[in-house]
Amino acid sequence: MGEELKVIVFALGEEQYGIEVDKVRTIERMQPITRVPKAPGFIKGVINLRGVVIPVLDLRGRFGLEETVATDNSRIIIVAANELEVGFIVDSANDVIDIDSDTIDSPPEVVGGIKAKYLQGIAKIGEKQLLVMLNLSEVLNRKEIIQLEQLEV
Amino acid sequence: MDMNAYLSMFIDESNDHLQALNENLLKLENDPGDISIVQVIFRSAHTLKGMSATMGFEDLASLTHEMENVLDLVRNSKLAMDSFIFDTLFKGLDALEAMVQDIVGGGTGKADVSSIVVSLQSIVKGDYLKAAQPSADAPAQNSGSSGTSGGALLDIFQQSVLKQSIESGNQAYYIKVTLREDCVLKAARAYMVFDVLESNGEVIKSEPSVQDLEQEKFDRSFIVFLISGTDAEELKSRIESVSEVDSADVVLLDAESLQMYGPVPDNQQKPAASQAAPAVQAREAAVRETSAAKSQTAATGAAVANRTIRVDIDRLDSLMNLFSELLIDRVRLEQLSSEIKRSDLIETVEHMARVSTDLQDIVLKLRMVPVESVFNRFPRMVRDIAKQLDKKIDLVVTGAETELDRTVIDEIGDPLVHLLRNSLDHGVEMPADRLAAGKPETGTVHLRAFHSGNHVFIEVEDDGNGIDAAKVRRIAVKNGVLSEEEANKLSEEQAQMLIFAAGFSTADKISDLSGRGVGLDVVKSKITSLGGHVTIRSQLGKGTIFSIQLPLTLSIISAMLIQMGSEKYAIPLSSIVETGIIQRDSIATVHGNQMIEFRGTVIPVVSLSRVLDVPDYREDAETETEIVVIRKNDKLAALMIDSFIGQSEIVLKPLGKYLPAIKALSGATILGDGQVALIIDPNAFIK
Repeated sequence: MGEELKVIVFALGEEQYGIEVDKVRTIERMQPITRVPKAPGFIKGVINLRGVVIPVLDLRGRFGLEETVATDNSRIIIVAANELEVGFIVDSANDVIDIDSDTIDSPPEVVGGIKAKYLQGIAKIGEKQLLVMLNLSEVLNRKEIIQLEQLEV
Repeated sequence: MDMNAYLSMFIDESNDHLQALNENLLKLENDPGDISIVQVIFRSAHTLKGMSATMGFEDLASLTHEMENVLDLVRNSKLAMDSFIFDTLFKGLDALEAMVQDIVGGGTGKADVSSIVVSLQSIVKGDYLKAAQPSADAPAQNSGSSGTSGGALLDIFQQSVLKQSIESGNQAYYIKVTLREDCVLKAARAYMVFDVLESNGEVIKSEPSVQDLEQEKFDRSFIVFLISGTDAEELKSRIESVSEVDSADVVLLDAESLQMYGPVPDNQQKPAASQAAPAVQAREAAVRETSAAKSQTAATGAAVANRTIRVDIDRLDSLMNLFSELLIDRVRLEQLSSEIKRSDLIETVEHMARVSTDLQDIVLKLRMVPVESVFNRFPRMVRDIAKQLDKKIDLVVTGAETELDRTVIDEIGDPLVHLLRNSLDHGVEMPADRLAAGKPETGTVHLRAFHSGNHVFIEVEDDGNGIDAAKVRRIAVKNGVLSEEEANKLSEEQAQMLIFAAGFSTADKISDLSGRGVGLDVVKSKITSLGGHVTIRSQLGKGTIFSIQLPLTLSIISAMLIQMGSEKYAIPLSSIVETGIIQRDSIATVHGNQMIEFRGTVIPVVSLSRVLDVPDYREDAETETEIVVIRKNDKLAALMIDSFIGQSEIVLKPLGKYLPAIKALSGATILGDGQVALIIDPNAFIK
């Protein structure tokens, strides 16, 4: 037996993804987002989370998946990692499960169009279901944010 | 006893004393003959020693003690200050600072200071000592004399000092201080007694030694020989005003009675000693009764003096944060009351607004710190660097009392260090070159701070060689900062600003201090991140002025809220000159840029909606457009906007670390309705 991991499960399209629970600060319902001009497309803007301004990204956009219109099930997961606080827009977030770290396999090259480096591994839950564990520090890697074009003045 | 409660107080006070030591040593270096400065230094050192010994930081105490020994000789005019002594003392101070820093960081304050101690001791004992006998204050001798009373309390040297002072009309006293039996902090009390004694005169000798006293290596009483102009009764009552002091016996000494404490192996003196001793004891008993009552009244008198308190910075920060929340609610309430239109509600909200404005003033003022706290380390730094560079430089500091927000103060230190080093290293020339150029041999660097409007300016001015714009251009091209063609287009001023570009250095050779091409670009980015600006004014051969403009506060500003389609933005009021409406057809196109005529001058017009990519507004369809005229230094520009919402106090919030820096935006704020509005950085629109 490996370590027990508590994981928040959320969905992007048909896929189930997991983030370790201690990286997640809160899960919020969708709320008005203030657009930030000239920011990369997947950065949807900033929200006011109890007095703190937090940038919000569309995880679909971040992974280069097709972005969809927010629904009632859409949630903003506020994560804290690498001294950064960022919100992820996901299609739904509704479960916390325990998984055994031994059951996490290294990820295949591409899962559902998401590059392997964003993934920490794949965990089997139950009989058939697979859970893709996110590599948060890579997802939040700022170097990846394309150098913004300077504003034309 | 729990010392942790006193630790932060100890750290604060140690820092104060170290700073005072630094400043006064510098003063003394300029005026080595001024013994009054030595007195001040000595007192600081002594207090520091007492505190560290009480707190159990032995290394700190012993190093201070060695420094004190040197200072003691100096103030008694037995030793003339020279550069070796100054350097050693400064080194000692650095070591002390490092130790205190270690304590701040949770360490034990231990450090190997043996080399400094050795040089300090060599000053005390060595060639520097003019007197024939080694000083009685040398620790070796102090611990050697272990007699308790009567016998050889004084060595020849101390005795002669006392004798001389008696002859010159001062009073010499034998003082026996007894602490109360239930006294907990004996060392601290002893130290306080010493403090009193030293403010009234000069302690020649104590038994047990000061070191032993500080380490509580004594029973209940100790003996002090003091030279003072104060009379015995006065002294007695002052000493007894220290709490937990049971009694103090003050005996005036004359030349004869002095003899009996001396080491003179003359048999005649012994009877005299034994005669004096009972006399002293008799007085002791008489005095004891009155002392308790006196000490209480005096203690209450002293407590009122201090009118300031030290507050944990975190508490001020959370006060600020809570106030920000309140301010957001206030704006929301104002909105609601104007919608509901009930007069009593409006009245209450208006009253609350007034109170919160006053509160805001106070909260902001609480966070204001004089730049002195940053400036005061520079005289020392300049001295050291000048010495290292073999240059002669005077640093003139003005406006140190100018106040800035603490967040700015915390960040401004390093950029200023860079600028000063730059001025010392590259600005001021070598003494020979200066003489050749017809300038005084000693260069002058001014460091000044002053208020102007909503900003604080900090300037570093040197009377050195100035910046050679042609050379800057050449190097910038060589280092690939820009092309030759671009370089030639730049004005003199713009070329000078190139020294702030990354990877740039005009120094012909790399020195220890600057010239590696890192530094000035860091300065610029740091100051920009503080919401400030750096400018250079330089005249070749005459000197350079680096001018830093900083906002007064980083937390709350007045701003104009504007609407751009469905989005709201805030523009800081401090950079708005005017608002107005222009006709679309009055916009002329000059050289591809849109310009309008504004109060007799032609200024550029910027379409904010295009810069910000606003999705649902363009001014093109309008015949009239609202504009905001903004200013940076003496340049103006007009921003075309959709409509005005109104003026408001806004709380600045960072956009978070994740977002890359976006040029036209300086941050965000939270509006009354809980929405985030972005703050426009007007400086980005004016080049």
